[in-house]
Amino acid sequence: MSKQYTGIGFRKDFAEELLSSTVLKPSFIEMAPENWIGMGGYWKKVLDKAAEKFPITCHGLSLSIGSPDEVDVEFVKQVKKFLKQYNVKVYSEHLSYSKCDNAHLYDLLPIPFRQDAVKHIVQRIKQVQDILEMPIALENVSYYTPVAAEMNEVEFISAIVKESGCNMLLDVNNVYVNSFNHQYDPKEFIKKLPLDHVAYIHMAGHEQISDTVIIDTHGQAVIDQVFELFDYTVGLVKPVPVLLERDFNIPELEELQGEITRMDNIIAKKWQIADAIA
Amino acid sequence: MQLLKDTYQQQAMLAEYCRDGIVPELKGVKAENLHHYRRLVFNIASDALETCYPITHSFLPKEVWEKLVYDYFAEHKCKTSQVWRMPMEFYDYCVKKDIAGQLGHYFLNDLLYVEWLELDVHTMEDIPYPSFTTKGDWFTNKIAINPEYKLIKLTYPVHTTAPTSLAGKEGTFFLLIYREKESGNVQFMDLSMLYTYILEQIANGELLKDVLEEANNLFQINDILLLKEHAEKFITDLQQRQFVLGFLK
Ligand SMILES: [Fe+2]
Repeated sequence: MSKQYTGIGFRKDFAEELLSSTVLKPSFIEMAPENWIGMGGYWKKVLDKAAEKFPITCHGLSLSIGSPDEVDVEFVKQVKKFLKQYNVKVYSEHLSYSKCDNAHLYDLLPIPFRQDAVKHIVQRIKQVQDILEMPIALENVSYYTPVAAEMNEVEFISAIVKESGCNMLLDVNNVYVNSFNHQYDPKEFIKKLPLDHVAYIHMAGHEQISDTVIIDTHGQAVIDQVFELFDYTVGLVKPVPVLLERDFNIPELEELQGEITRMDNIIAKKWQIADAIA
Repeated sequence: MQLLKDTYQQQAMLAEYCRDGIVPELKGVKAENLHHYRRLVFNIASDALETCYPITHSFLPKEVWEKLVYDYFAEHKCKTSQVWRMPMEFYDYCVKKDIAGQLGHYFLNDLLYVEWLELDVHTMEDIPYPSFTTKGDWFTNKIAINPEYKLIKLTYPVHTTAPTSLAGKEGTFFLLIYREKESGNVQFMDLSMLYTYILEQIANGELLKDVLEEANNLFQINDILLLKEHAEKFITDLQQRQFVLGFLK
């Protein structure tokens, strides 16, 4: 019997459908705490039902770990409370910034790949982990241009992960998107990452908008090349929870389950039975 | 801070660009791809505003709405870490900048406020219900009400009248906005000044009989029996609407 490792991003667009579905059966759900903290009424009821039915992991949006601004301590404390309330064991965020000069932007901007940024972020990771009293996992993000880079992406990510000791969320689709946009070999890139720190994996769809640019939309089905890269990745890392992100353009739930099953089949080939999110 | 000034400046310039769309001189970028950041960031903000303010969005001419959203996002630093709460800052911005006056749509502040409150009441954190019983006397027992509500005063009847017909309709309007417990649906109810007063006093824990005596003088009604009759109808109506719950235990 193979253990199911795969979860799905919990979106309001299909939340009710998922809760009563006999088709889509993730082993856990992932949500952005920012979308649910302090929410009452109808959606709070839906959230509580979801929490009864599935284990929850959290994937934040507004921590802005790469921001030049001070860490928003109050915000981190709110996240901590939410994680505790819903018994969340995995909290991940993006290795990017979404706030600068005290203005939130609500999307992920690329951090300059520089040594001073590494030091700055390492210190912030420690501060956040101290408040949360748990490790965080940081995700390699898609980016469409480097900014003022003095090292390459893999050096930047590796330095931060190694120096801070934080976990890594490896987004396989983001590696694919970046390897296309910035013309590198995705497998070589993955091999160079600090793979022993990988604690979580993301899979998603994207949209190619020109000969040279892919946008990380989470609005399409996962393509074969990304499944192939996933297969490669799974062979290199220990068993961890794997999540399918689908944020827009939600298809029939059968289609989402089809993608999850395909991921499960790849996992079953490579990973021993273990409790990934215990 | 470990971050060098130059690194900070590069980050700040990119962030600024996402807010105002004015292309900066950044080091080592793929200039042809930079616009994706502006587009993606701006779309998220403008989608959040369109979702919260559908009536204002469809009433204002496209170019007026777009300029307003552009100015807001460029000039205002969004403070909330939760994008679905960000539209409240848009309302504050419009009031502070007197957008209603600038556009000559004097009802705009009220319209934005009511649109925001509909979302706010729908999503606001649960407030514990008081313990109550359904047995009692409306006049001499303390009345228990649904705590999840806002009672507001408007200058324009934006909740009953289309924006195109609001010019010249100024007056004083009271509106109860509350959330039904089971469904979570938001309900609106028009109130007269008298009933607004009664509701406020009940919410403060006053007994209805005392409130009515005060109201009888305050509003110069001088017919306490008639007032009691109407007030009882009002309260039972509110009970049917799931706003009045019963009597406080
Ligand atoms: Fe991801």
